[in-house]
Amino acid sequence: MAARLFKGAEYLVTDATKDDVFTPEDFTEEQRAIADTADQFVEEEIAPVRDRLEHQEAGVAVALMRKAGDAGLLMIDAPEAYGGLALDKATSMLAAERMGAGGSFSVAYAAHTGIGTLPLVYYGTDAQKDRYLGKLLTGEWSAAYCLTEPEAGSDALGGRATATLTPDGKHYLLDGTKQFITNGSFADLFTVFARVDRKHFTAFLVERTTPGVTVGPEEKKLGIKGSSTTSVIFEGAKVPVENVLGEIGKGHKIAFNVLNVGRFKLGAAVTGAAKHAFKAGAAYANARRQFGVPIARFGAIQEKLADLTTGIFASESIVYRLAGLIDDRLATIPKDTSGYYEAYQQGIEEYAIECAIAKVFCSEVLADVVDEVVQIHGGYGFIQEYPAEKYYRDERINRIFEGTNEINRLLVPGTILRRALKGELPLQRETMKAMEALMTPSPDELDPALPFAAERAVLGGLKRTFLVVAGAAVQRHREALKDEQEALLALADVAIQIFAMESVLLRAERISPRLPESRRADVAAAVKGHTFGAVEKIATAARRAAFYVAEGDTLTVLLGGIRRFTKYDATGLLEAKRRLAAAALEAERYPF
Amino acid sequence: MSNVLVLAEQSRGTLRKATLSAVTAARELAHRTGGKVTALVLGCGAGAAADELAAHGVTVRLADAPALAHPLAEAHAPVVAEAAKVVGASWVVAPATAYGKDVLPRAAVALGAAVATEVLAIAGAGAEILLRRPMWAGNVIAEVELRTEVKAFTVRPTEFPPAGRAPGGSVAPLPVTVDAATLRTRWVGLEEVKSERPELTDARVVVAGGRGTKGDFGPITGLADVLGGAVGASRAAVDAGWAPNDWQVGQTGKVVAPELYVAAGISGAIQHVAGMKGAKVIVAVNKDADAPIFQIADYGLVADLFQALPELRDRVQGA
Amino acid sequence: MPLKLLVTVKRVEDPESKIRPTPDGSGIVTDGVSYKMNPFDEIAVEEALRLKEAHGGEVVVASIGGEKATTELRAALAMGADRGVLVRHEGALDPGIVSAILARVVAEERPDLVVMGKQAIDDDQNQTGQMLAARLAWPQATFASKKESLESDAEQRKRPGLTVAADGRRLEVVREVDGGVETLDLALPAVVTVDLRLNKPRFASLPGIMKAKKKELREIAAASLGVDLAPTVVVRRLFEPPRRQAGVRVGDVAELWSKLHAEAKVL
Repeated sequence: MAARLFKGAEYLVTDATKDDVFTPEDFTEEQRAIADTADQFVEEEIAPVRDRLEHQEAGVAVALMRKAGDAGLLMIDAPEAYGGLALDKATSMLAAERMGAGGSFSVAYAAHTGIGTLPLVYYGTDAQKDRYLGKLLTGEWSAAYCLTEPEAGSDALGGRATATLTPDGKHYLLDGTKQFITNGSFADLFTVFARVDRKHFTAFLVERTTPGVTVGPEEKKLGIKGSSTTSVIFEGAKVPVENVLGEIGKGHKIAFNVLNVGRFKLGAAVTGAAKHAFKAGAAYANARRQFGVPIARFGAIQEKLADLTTGIFASESIVYRLAGLIDDRLATIPKDTSGYYEAYQQGIEEYAIECAIAKVFCSEVLADVVDEVVQIHGGYGFIQEYPAEKYYRDERINRIFEGTNEINRLLVPGTILRRALKGELPLQRETMKAMEALMTPSPDELDPALPFAAERAVLGGLKRTFLVVAGAAVQRHREALKDEQEALLALADVAIQIFAMESVLLRAERISPRLPESRRADVAAAVKGHTFGAVEKIATAARRAAFYVAEGDTLTVLLGGIRRFTKYDATGLLEAKRRLAAAALEAERYPF
Repeated sequence: MSNVLVLAEQSRGTLRKATLSAVTAARELAHRTGGKVTALVLGCGAGAAADELAAHGVTVRLADAPALAHPLAEAHAPVVAEAAKVVGASWVVAPATAYGKDVLPRAAVALGAAVATEVLAIAGAGAEILLRRPMWAGNVIAEVELRTEVKAFTVRPTEFPPAGRAPGGSVAPLPVTVDAATLRTRWVGLEEVKSERPELTDARVVVAGGRGTKGDFGPITGLADVLGGAVGASRAAVDAGWAPNDWQVGQTGKVVAPELYVAAGISGAIQHVAGMKGAKVIVAVNKDADAPIFQIADYGLVADLFQALPELRDRVQGA
Repeated sequence: MPLKLLVTVKRVEDPESKIRPTPDGSGIVTDGVSYKMNPFDEIAVEEALRLKEAHGGEVVVASIGGEKATTELRAALAMGADRGVLVRHEGALDPGIVSAILARVVAEERPDLVVMGKQAIDDDQNQTGQMLAARLAWPQATFASKKESLESDAEQRKRPGLTVAADGRRLEVVREVDGGVETLDLALPAVVTVDLRLNKPRFASLPGIMKAKKKELREIAAASLGVDLAPTVVVRRLFEPPRRQAGVRVGDVAELWSKLHAEAKVL
């Protein structure tokens, strides 16, 4: 439990301490045991059938889902009354992370346990849960989430599917086409979004066997070929009124809220996938000999491994910090009250910004990892005999589904500004302070004897950078800023990188005192490597935003401020990277 | 009193060869401690094995009784303990075989002896004998001291050459008090492993062929069969249809870690090496002196596999 | 006939961790090393659970170690064992002492069958089961295995590899010996040590993990058992095995043969 309960996006205006965060090093014995089970599931159940899964052999995915049910891996998020385990988000994310090493099946797993099952958990009536939840938790039934339509992708509410009440008032007739439905070919229960009377966006629980429901053929995909992706077509599908999920006309709340968890879960899953791919890269670097020595001896290879290590370290730091934030918030809600899931949903929505950050940051770390793992393999990375090629293809979708990374980036500054406007975030006050700091050069007092003093110091500067640039953007565009996507994307990059860098720093501050000396040095190296990269990225993004929103004297002042706020002395960077590479090569895996 | 008792292993009157390695270790130990070596043969109608052992210059005690007909630890262990007392042994040595490992620790309890398993080498002298043995799957070698009056260990046969034939051996009976009727272990049967080729992944020896076979795996299978080994193939050979899929060793095939891996006509592409680099000893036979396989081979022979492999097979058969 | 089964579990270095001796040879480098249940013990737990599922009864798991060994006991409880006993002791113990301690635990628990891993993958001694059987004067069957492969139907259906007679008083064990598989028939109570091919252990389910928290785990101080804990197998130093020598070229088959025979000792 954190010392202080942080609100969503509050990290931008308040400095957290090491006592405010949860880290992967804080897991309990049970949580570690659950992670082991997920690891074993990947190794002993998924790996032996991987080829059959990739070829979409009938029944393999369904059988695996049952086995996951037997192992209890589908029960984590559900209430005990329905056979769930009601475990916290940290545990749920840990399981998702470990299952992330399972390639295509991990996509099926995440879809089933996340967007497939959670709408029912959060919004279902007791009768609906009685009827369906038990089956989903054991894997007897699989679940799918049907939001996307041919004409409605990022514009998720733009769908044309309709629901029409029958004259007897007992059924809705669903019409429309949903596409890119994960688990489509075998799911038994679909959460379908359609407009009642062409107006009221509403969610329905639809059984696969309902007359009028047909499932289209498998899509031929670039990657995750072992997962099922189909269209699902509704032609007068007769759904009982009892199967309306939540309220008529409140479907958008379900759609978006569940996506928050979905994005968060995706951040965890891709972190697991990144670790898995990293292992292949490190092992290959040790095994491959060129010029008479293993290529692991070369700085060119070592630097890649070091940078990927810091990236994964940051991903982990973000995912579990966010898990801690949400768990702490949810723990304040009294259980067994009628409004529990309402408050629960609000609790998660509070961190919509951080959920989007986790999705964008972690999926892009995975993209870096698989790209460099191919590169480390050289020509062998391009042929199918090595898994690098598959990792590379499987990665790509993660930057597209659960909201493209662009949609998620836009959501970050968009939500921050909206909350500031509503007075939920003291952005204006803090921006004023940052402006003052900009005008009056004050020497930042820092005690170099303190661990991570340089990182602490620059972190304050990075937050000021965001504030002054965001302030300038608001001043320039006012309400119209929401249409200035280029500027918003740049601001998003700044906000995302700050959250990542702070999460890395807090984790290091928290865990370092309990580590043996050499391990502590590894962590310090990760902090240095990550901070250097983050500061550079923030400076670039902030300058980009400054050029987009300012000119003349304002621009000059902004650029000067950015320069001053993004000063970071990374002395020892090379040694830090070499140290990380050595640790990764020695362990032949992600070393933390 | 630093005599050494060797627990011999026999099956239906035939001496197990590992016993001769244990004799060598026992003699080395006796040399360091200044004692005498006596071997114990247990069984029913095991005289031939005792005679065979004596023919290696060993003083043998033969415990021959119906109760000892089968290699049951419950029956054999008390006799071993008894024999150790009879010959005044302060050391008991057995081969590190399934039988030796089964019986020796049980006998050791009766003797109050500490035991070291799979000893690779003996160091020290007199009262300061140190035994080297593997721990953590051989990643670490430990030098251990046993601190009991009577001490025992099993010997890894490959680390001590078998004792040669020599004069001066003898066989004397050892009275047996074990009563078959009191035994609570009953021997039901033994199914011997068929002489078919072992599984690739748990074979002690793997002989593998590649492009250099030009499609003729005869020399490969011929050598594998005399070595009791499995047959492997490179991906090139499998893709060419020269070898079945399940012979493939490598990145996309099987990963093997035999004691001996013979790569014949295999160039040693990294994806093949990924599947066999865990082998204890790698032999490469290839016509191309620059083939990368020679970089990782313990023993490299630049030769035509069609000549070298049959020749090696003949030598194995002649040994 | 319900069976009371005692299974031993040991906390060992994860076999996937890299193990190397410290420079002074006094121990191994533990930095970055993770720990888990001895893999042979996992097979023993699995077998005991299958026996219980087939015949009814109780599975008690016992370990000797420090506080951290509760993690491995909980892991066995999470697999489905009923309760745990931890004999508290810090530091390594040799098999002679371990077997003496276990004999005390057996005297108290009075199981019908003790199932153990054939060896622990840290010290690789392969003695404790045999020694325990000797101390109890019970029959023993080491290296228990089965004739069916791990891909067989019997294994898929999680049938036990050990066969208990209908009267519950005898046990048939198939064991791996050099050159084949031997079948023994033991009067119970007995000690069985298990080999790799006996079964594929299950992994703990999540409900199992959560339930394990609430299962009984009793602690006993090793010093209270009246067993002499003074070591009898003393490791004087640890060192790395000789490194693989740089490969050599041999001139002909004769030389290759003699190298393989006399130097590498693989033929």
